[in-house]
Amino acid sequence: MDRIEADRARFREIVRGRIRADLGRYLSTTELIARVGEQAVSVPIPQVELPRFEFAPGSDEGQGPGGGARSEGASPRGDGKAGEGAAGDVVGEHALEVDVELEELAEMLGRELGLPHIQPRGRRELESEGARYSGLRSRGPDSLRHARRTFAAALRRTVASGTWDPARPRVVPEKDDLRFRAPRPATRPHSSAVVFHMMDVSGSMGREQKEIVRLEAFWIDTWLRSQYRNLEVVYIVHDAAAKLVDHDTFFHVRESGGTRISSAYELCLQVIRERFPQELWNVYPFHYSDGDNWSARDTERCVELLGTELLPRVNQFCYGQVRSAYGSGQFKKDLDLAFGADPRLVTASVAERGEVLGAIRAFLGSGR
Amino acid sequence: MGSRSRGSTTLPPHLADWARRIESVARAHGLDFFPLEFHLVDASDVHALAALGGFPVRYPSWRFGMEYERLEKAHGWGQARIYELVINTDPVVAWLVRSNAESEQKLVMAHVCGHADFFRHNTWFAGTDRGMLATMARHAERMREHVERHGLERVEQFLDGVLCLDNLLDPHRDQRRLWARASSESLALPTHDVLAWLVEHAPLEDWERDVAGIVLAEARYFLPQRLTRIVNEGWASFWHSRILTGGVLDASEIVDFADCHSGATLQAPGRINPYKLGLALWRHAERRGEDLFRLRSLHNDASFVDELVDAEFIASGVLPPPARPRRGQGSEALERDPRHVKERLLSELAWGGMPCIELVEADRGRGLRLVHRHSGRDLNFARAGDTLARVEALWRAPVVLDTFEKGSPCRLRCHGGQLERDDGGAATCIDLAS
Repeated sequence: MDRIEADRARFREIVRGRIRADLGRYLSTTELIARVGEQAVSVPIPQVELPRFEFAPGSDEGQGPGGGARSEGASPRGDGKAGEGAAGDVVGEHALEVDVELEELAEMLGRELGLPHIQPRGRRELESEGARYSGLRSRGPDSLRHARRTFAAALRRTVASGTWDPARPRVVPEKDDLRFRAPRPATRPHSSAVVFHMMDVSGSMGREQKEIVRLEAFWIDTWLRSQYRNLEVVYIVHDAAAKLVDHDTFFHVRESGGTRISSAYELCLQVIRERFPQELWNVYPFHYSDGDNWSARDTERCVELLGTELLPRVNQFCYGQVRSAYGSGQFKKDLDLAFGADPRLVTASVAERGEVLGAIRAFLGSGR
Repeated sequence: MGSRSRGSTTLPPHLADWARRIESVARAHGLDFFPLEFHLVDASDVHALAALGGFPVRYPSWRFGMEYERLEKAHGWGQARIYELVINTDPVVAWLVRSNAESEQKLVMAHVCGHADFFRHNTWFAGTDRGMLATMARHAERMREHVERHGLERVEQFLDGVLCLDNLLDPHRDQRRLWARASSESLALPTHDVLAWLVEHAPLEDWERDVAGIVLAEARYFLPQRLTRIVNEGWASFWHSRILTGGVLDASEIVDFADCHSGATLQAPGRINPYKLGLALWRHAERRGEDLFRLRSLHNDASFVDELVDAEFIASGVLPPPARPRRGQGSEALERDPRHVKERLLSELAWGGMPCIELVEADRGRGLRLVHRHSGRDLNFARAGDTLARVEALWRAPVVLDTFEKGSPCRLRCHGGQLERDDGGAATCIDLAS
């Protein structure tokens, strides 16, 4: 029965191959995002089952006896409460779900898009956990036994118990005397990053535009999380005014009214100043909008904020312009005009879901 | 009995005592079975065993791994719980889950007695290999040798291709051979035993023929279980109730028993639970004064339903109403019409719930023709096309399948991995070269 683990390993290998081959499709659907857990995401895989001659679903009332479509499954099963058979057969018709570690998904994404690994900026380092065997404890494997400390403990006990005989200085360690090396948290430098997702939620950003933003934000987070051990995410929404929100609100809120992009940039700047000093943090602001700003004056204000305050503080500032029925798309043109080839500012436009991939590549392809 | 004491060694003494007691009660009721071997296993082991069809040693395949993962997940979500597995061998091996409550263990042991009696005496099981534990282990050994010699990818790809065809069997093979008094193993066309025919005639390398033969042997072994789910589970449930409530359980355990029993016979709306339907049919048979032991020797699900479902049974309401009413045709009254209800059930049970596919013509040069004997339900065309491609890969020449879609004839042709579909009324057309 231990061999089942080998079968399972092979199954997982096959599934990963499928996901890799099909990554483009997964990248352009929001289906995955709803399935993210703490560490892993559960990915629906269609068609892993082998094909057979079988009836079309619904070609009758679909009232088949349990196990009809599965040969192995029809072997005598236990008295499953609520019917093992009943539960099993439903699953057979649906896509199979497989848990994939987020890290693995990021690695697939990186390979698919040819993303370079990010070189964190040198001085932005934090102390963090690592482990070195500098501690002691009284239980452990023999290979980690600390002979000198064990002897010391045994000696101390022998003397204290009064059995110490200077004429015959024998010390026999007992179980309680044993000491073993133990890992002790040690400090090691490593890097941290903060991501700002800023979204325009004015009336012109519709459901589809928000879905696209959601997709981009998800994959960007997934990638950056694999590059930094400590990633913080800050969500900002704005129309004419900006505010900090949590993850759920970011993805579901619907505001309306005008658009003043500078409000978001000001808030972003304020948060960076207060919480994320640039010596300690790699900073990645992302801003998504449909490119319609309130006025040319506000756009000037944005350019000024970017040039003098934001860009010097960040690794890279990304602007993603999502095409909507109402947006003019002017803002991207203005930014491109103002900053031209500045590598700290990347802009991309996304007309539909299929283009999300290209935008992510543009944003993350520089490895900054 | 020697083997019984051998099997009992893995049960703690008090359970072994119960096993002996339950067995003797079962035998006193007239059940007759090969010696029973009970083993206690952990929940995770039972998932592995279930994924492997109840057999601890089988050839390597990712499909078992997939099933294992599915079971573990379903268990984790509380969707399914396996109490026991029993396999059709001599001696009968039954795996009991260690975490079952004691009253559950008793129920499960009595249930196993019912299955064991059914395996031994039901005519559909007459031809099964009772030494399957050892046979499967030999299959595993041979498959590993093939993998070592020809590489995992190659063997796996071939194996998966053959597994797609493992339902192309003739459920009536044993009977047919009996009637024909055929001494030769060789098959004549036309035949429903498509996989067997391919194993014999397809241009395969030796190792490929061996792999295909292994798939065939194992599929044949499992087929009777697919044909007798309702009647077999019903029989076992009928007897576990009778044995347990006839003095084996003490009063304090009856409620636990009822809870466990009702859980197992719970029926989701619009869906048949073989435990519930089977049990109801057996009780109905008893009410009608039938010879129960004769019935359990003769019937598979389809013939059992045909024999026992009458107006009175349908009125009892055990058969679930259709999950969703058919639109456009028929009324509530038709759905409730006993003849209609019975026919619908029979059409689902016929041929083990699989499409009836017959191989009618095979010619090396011109190809191979399969016909789907349509009985009211269309094929899943996407899957049928994929499957047909696997047939072609095995036969290494063009393959066609004639069927119907929405009442009109339809032909699928696979040539060089390319699928074509022809709706031009080709069902009776025999000319493959066209």
